Amino acid sequence: MKQLHILHLYPNELNTYGDHGNVLTLRRRTEWHGLQPVAHYHHPKAALPKQIDIVIGGGGQDSAQADVQADILKIGDNLRNLSDQQVPMLLICGTYQLFGHRYTTHTGEEVKGIGIFDAETIGGQKRMIGNVMVKSDFGILFGFENHSGQTFLGKSQAPLGKVLRGGGNNGKDKTEGARTNNVFGTYLHGPFLPNNPQFCDELIKMAVKNHGDEYQQPGIDDSLSMAVRTNGHRRHY
Amino acid sequence: MRDFLATLIGKIVRSALFFRREGGYTLPGLVIEKLFPNYITSMLHKLPEGVIIITGTNGKTTTTKIVAELLRANGKRVVTNTTGSNLTRGIASSIARQANLSGSLNYDSAVLELDEATAKNFVKIIKPRWVLALNVSRDQLDRYGEVDTIASYVGEAMQAATEGIVTNARDILLNKLAKKIASEKTVHLKFFGAADSLGKFFPDDYELAAVSGSVKQRASPTPGGVEVELADFKGQSVSYRIAGKLYRSKLKLTGQHNFLNGAAALALCGQLLPKAETKDLIADLSKVTIAFGRGELYRFENGSTVELVLVKNPASFSQALASYGAGKEDLMIAINDNIADGRDVSWLWDVNFEPLHGRRVELVSGTRAADMALRLSYDGINTKETQPQLPKALRQLTGRPGKKVILATYTAMLQLYKILGKQAEKIS
Repeated sequence: MKQLHILHLYPNELNTYGDHGNVLTLRRRTEWHGLQPVAHYHHPKAALPKQIDIVIGGGGQDSAQADVQADILKIGDNLRNLSDQQVPMLLICGTYQLFGHRYTTHTGEEVKGIGIFDAETIGGQKRMIGNVMVKSDFGILFGFENHSGQTFLGKSQAPLGKVLRGGGNNGKDKTEGARTNNVFGTYLHGPFLPNNPQFCDELIKMAVKNHGDEYQQPGIDDSLSMAVRTNGHRRHY
Repeated sequence: MRDFLATLIGKIVRSALFFRREGGYTLPGLVIEKLFPNYITSMLHKLPEGVIIITGTNGKTTTTKIVAELLRANGKRVVTNTTGSNLTRGIASSIARQANLSGSLNYDSAVLELDEATAKNFVKIIKPRWVLALNVSRDQLDRYGEVDTIASYVGEAMQAATEGIVTNARDILLNKLAKKIASEKTVHLKFFGAADSLGKFFPDDYELAAVSGSVKQRASPTPGGVEVELADFKGQSVSYRIAGKLYRSKLKLTGQHNFLNGAAALALCGQLLPKAETKDLIADLSKVTIAFGRGELYRFENGSTVELVLVKNPASFSQALASYGAGKEDLMIAINDNIADGRDVSWLWDVNFEPLHGRRVELVSGTRAADMALRLSYDGINTKETQPQLPKALRQLTGRPGKKVILATYTAMLQLYKILGKQAEKIS
């Protein structure tokens, strides 16, 4: 494996909270792994590329979510196949919601999702806004949340982690995000990957293993990320 | 009588603050607001030439200053809120300061900068004659909300204009909204803009974050054309195309975004001053100096100079980098995450750091200094030092002579002002 093909879903519609930072981080760290990143931007109505090693999706405004909904239903089967093949995906906020069964807005309107996650989202009146800390299998995850949707996981659906600080999926059950196969959904931006570089490397590792190659963790100077993460522990707002 | 009392109280609170050497921009207004909730309405209704509102994400303070100075140069008496305190409290303070002691305003009109949410509420009480809507783009989303919401607030303000709307032809959201409003009610609609060749300097919110090869269409051309177009600039030499004629001028204002703010102000003043000659308005514009926190210059004893530039969202940060990024000055970036800066620093990843490629940043500072250094590192830009403490960072930056530029978020800028005011001499 020499190249790593990144599929960025709806970069022009779902990019509100610094989501390009996730793709930039993934690209740089892919290079630091000695691989060449190839980014494919998927716009509504366009065809998917042949090779997809990692999928990334961001958050957006309600109007943008409606714009992409028709398209994501159309490519839903492709995404489910990729999930079954253990392709790693990271879906933030709006895209995370569209990977559940449905999103019901606070006015009662229903937006159908592709159901990779056994989850549904209900539009709340109050936004959850602030810094978040989550305990996960990938260590502590730091990020910033800003969402009015409350996501509830089905009984068999695994969360990404447990909220130590912040609202998380719904502000009630202490869960944050979801995981099915190697597909991860989360409300954390900040952006997510530069704040949690170990998680980014995990995505790359999964992609490398999917190719049957051996993964080697390169020596990366992450002192700047570590400084940001150390401060994150103190951020009670 | 009430207006007299409110004015008097506002002035007393302000002078009390003055003797304590504090800014006193909003506290007098806060006191008035509590005691006399109808003060602003009552005072502004007395103005013979009404109220003009300037709103949008970036450029309000500078544009308000330009418009007020152009009107004054043409003999108008203008009350304004020029201190960057654009909330109702700040307006009440400004009015109390500028009213005479009998509680009357001896002015022709008010030119007020209002943030988008304030503008929406303000027009419920006072109908503006003209509304100038500059631009909308992502800005402190944890505090103000998403761009569609902000655009709808500006729409409500434009909707309330009794005489006319001036807006940005390049801004797809505002362009559409303004056309819709003008098609539904009798109101003038005038556009300002930039020549297509300058498009890359003035991205709207969509263009700011869109990946290259984007598919969305540009704002459709405006039916009556663009009233005032920024045609070209080089350094501070700027040319505007107005009614088919090209006007050249050397401005005191710096930064291409301010050249576009100049176009906005010219478009509005052309309407407010129908008898004024265009060439005279341009001459007036050339004399306008920058506003509070928009590139003021300080000099230290050792000869080092510091230029302070406010950055508050992806658009303004990218604009500042386009203006200052290629220079030879030592650069410091100060990012705070207090409420007035926005708690969420994700926006740093929407800033275009290309102008800094191949350069080094001397210092990053503020509560989110580490986040800034991390952001720069992913663009391959090295930071010499991370020093979260602003006083220490400033001391290090100015330890050696030479020209320095500091890009700072709002509360970091206020902190730096305090120190600069004590330790350095303000030269512009």
